Amino acid sequence: MLKRWIKVLSLLAVLSLFAAACGSSDSSSSDSGSSSASASSSSDDEPAAEEDAGEAQSSDDEGEEEATEETAPPPQPKHGGTMVIATTQVGANVNHGVNSGIGIAQPSSKIFASLTHLDKNWEPQPYLAESWEVSDDNLTITFHLVEGATFHDGAPITSADVKFSIEVIQANHPFTGMWGPLESIDTPDDLTVVLHLANPHPALWIATSDVMMPIMPKHIMDDGTPINEMKGHPNNVAGAIGSGPFRLTEYENTQKIVLERYDDFFIPDRPYLDSIIYVIVPDEDATMLGLESGEYDSGGYASVINAEKVSKNPDLVAIPDLLGGVGSLNHLQFNMANSIMSDLRVRQAIAYTIDRDYVINTLHQGQTMELLGGIHPSSPFYNADVERYDVDLDKARALLAEAGYADGLDLRINYIPGPNEQQRNVAEYIALALAEVGVNVEVIQAADLPSWAGIFFGGPDAWHMTMNAYFNWGDPVIGVQRAYVCANIVPGVFVNNSAYCNEKVDELLYAAAAEPDFAKRKALYDEFQEITAIELPFYGINALPIFGANQLYVRDQPDGAWGPLSGFENVWLDK
Amino acid sequence: MTDLGIAIESSVETGGRGAFRMFLRNKPAVVGSVVFIIIVLVTIFGPGMYGTEAHKMAAGPFLGPGDDAGPLLGTDYLGRDILAGVITGGRTTLFVAAVAGALSMGLGLVVGSLAGYFGGWIDALLMRFTEIFQAMPSLLFSLVLIYLIGPGTWKETLAIGVTMWALPARLTRAEFLRLREMEFVKASRAIGSTDLRIMTRTILPNAMPPLLVAATLLVVIAVLFHAGLAFLGMVDINTVSWGSIMGKNRGYTLTAWWTVAFPGLAIVATGLSIALIGDGLQDAFNPKLRGR
Repeated sequence: MLKRWIKVLSLLAVLSLFAAACGSSDSSSSDSGSSSASASSSSDDEPAAEEDAGEAQSSDDEGEEEATEETAPPPQPKHGGTMVIATTQVGANVNHGVNSGIGIAQPSSKIFASLTHLDKNWEPQPYLAESWEVSDDNLTITFHLVEGATFHDGAPITSADVKFSIEVIQANHPFTGMWGPLESIDTPDDLTVVLHLANPHPALWIATSDVMMPIMPKHIMDDGTPINEMKGHPNNVAGAIGSGPFRLTEYENTQKIVLERYDDFFIPDRPYLDSIIYVIVPDEDATMLGLESGEYDSGGYASVINAEKVSKNPDLVAIPDLLGGVGSLNHLQFNMANSIMSDLRVRQAIAYTIDRDYVINTLHQGQTMELLGGIHPSSPFYNADVERYDVDLDKARALLAEAGYADGLDLRINYIPGPNEQQRNVAEYIALALAEVGVNVEVIQAADLPSWAGIFFGGPDAWHMTMNAYFNWGDPVIGVQRAYVCANIVPGVFVNNSAYCNEKVDELLYAAAAEPDFAKRKALYDEFQEITAIELPFYGINALPIFGANQLYVRDQPDGAWGPLSGFENVWLDK
Repeated sequence: MTDLGIAIESSVETGGRGAFRMFLRNKPAVVGSVVFIIIVLVTIFGPGMYGTEAHKMAAGPFLGPGDDAGPLLGTDYLGRDILAGVITGGRTTLFVAAVAGALSMGLGLVVGSLAGYFGGWIDALLMRFTEIFQAMPSLLFSLVLIYLIGPGTWKETLAIGVTMWALPARLTRAEFLRLREMEFVKASRAIGSTDLRIMTRTILPNAMPPLLVAATLLVVIAVLFHAGLAFLGMVDINTVSWGSIMGKNRGYTLTAWWTVAFPGLAIVATGLSIALIGDGLQDAFNPKLRGR
């Protein structure tokens, strides 16, 4: 009898081993997390005043006033150290001049310098351009470059490189609105660049700033590669020669990206950090565990649950709006090239079925902002007075019947890999909601961004609808226009993938792009939002929150409009 | 189990009252059987009786067990009823486990019996082939197969089934090698039985006891494999199974433990009960324990 029970016990042990093996990925990382957490907490036994200073330093406006009241002098920046940044975003390369995406933008903004920085009030500040003049008619802008700036191979950065970079961006970058009004570029001498515009272009100051304008080396990239095929140039990946504060030394785009200090950077005594390591982690929870254990110095995440966790953690500095200027959206995109989805009635039926309030108030616990169109709700151009398609299941059924799908319809929904709470969960909710009106929706999951993006290259039947996350990138000209104008129905990702084409919308967008008067510009964008909210190339759901967290010792994280998508030359570690 | 007397004895008495009595005397095995029968009955009749559909939103998200607003075992991130999920998810999990187990058992029986009975170059060829499968880590092999053929209940079953047959093949071969030299097999051959008849009617029934035990083990492994695949997100997201509930809620383990704990318990209970039954069967078929 005893023997038998021993057997039972051993079986239990074996089963629990199996169970442990199934959950190994999580349990092992949490194990290592807890062990290193205890290690780091012992080293964090510094005075509490230190912590307060740190919080005041890196938090926003309100915090700064407190800091001035404190008598303690601000800590002096120190050289040295490696900053480890966790990210879930994988990019195809490290040059944001030829592609768009957070995974590309993060390293690109360190490896390549831009003409200007954007500060937190969206005003341009000197960077590679030390000064500039704007003509009275707003049509001629003259930039003066910093003297003595060099690329990572030692070659000087000249006006020819700036001209070349603008041409590469114009020919390759999906944000065609950035340089649309540019007529010509003059380079009277090595340090002067003159831009001639066809019409006033308010978005120019975004196009020349930080991540939007990597200055690329003409002497390396202009090697016979056609200008519109620069996406495939080897200087975009391992071994890239850039102009920014950090050099690319190691590049495994799904594992890690290592950047090292460029000693001859054009701003003397900068950057402070010796190196930056981007660790690509599979999900936000890995980011979270690494931040809690001290393994990562910085990380971003979009989960409301994780945001709550960080705000309660005294060892981390929460950044409520990490990528303020980016204006990230969470919305349902329809494939209007597909024969089923090209029918407006089908799209309307879907819109009448989805309960946006349920997603925001219940799935997101009320912590996200409602989104009705293609412009981020915090933008001054946002129009909340558009067609909302409030839930009406009878109307949805009637529309489907009218479209010839009274007996039901089989559709697929894809979702962009990212925070589950925003995309997967909403996709699953949409599938459930549509079942109520007889639409059977299969949820298609993709392992990573490239395999998700494959749907855009598979012809009109490769997808019906997808949860997508377009970003505004500062100005509607840059991030919004690209997703709606007929001319941008091209192969690619984050272009006009809906294949939406309406001449009136084109007119409005192009007129708004060149309108210097704010009120008139807003009126044009308002009308654009009214039309597209009805015609539904996208169905807006919510503004995608991007939260961030830093360790207490990370100082002077950029506070400009682009946040961490800028140079990091002033960031230092107080440890 | 190598000498003749025992083999014949076991062949005479297996399946008889003796074995059944032995099984009943093994208390853990009886408990396992009862638990397993309950699990099977619940998965068959439970969803109909419980009413709530597992894939539909029943209440608000992340309601804990015992929360008055939600169902008994709480809800997941979309407000789906965990209890309904556990009841319904068993269908997929048990179906996959049973069919994958049967598939691998069938493959193993065919390969093993041919190799063991005919020997020679057939044996050598089939065993080398088996070794290829044995050499590969099964769970990884299943993962690769799913990656290639895509998710879906039948495809998952196939991917699990074809990776596990090496074990029963080896076992069957050993039993056939042993039994084919027995007197009663020679007698059968002497009266002119065909090879097929000798294999299926004479040898196979006598080889069954260890194979039955192996079959229970295969089902347990299949349950765990499917749970593992689902946990890694490699199974159909549109189908409810114990593993997929755990896999989808993996990110909320720390904030909503009930979303993974209850399907996990169901997996443990199923695996343990089948393993106990297998243990009881082994004892029941073992004549050395008889009379104790």
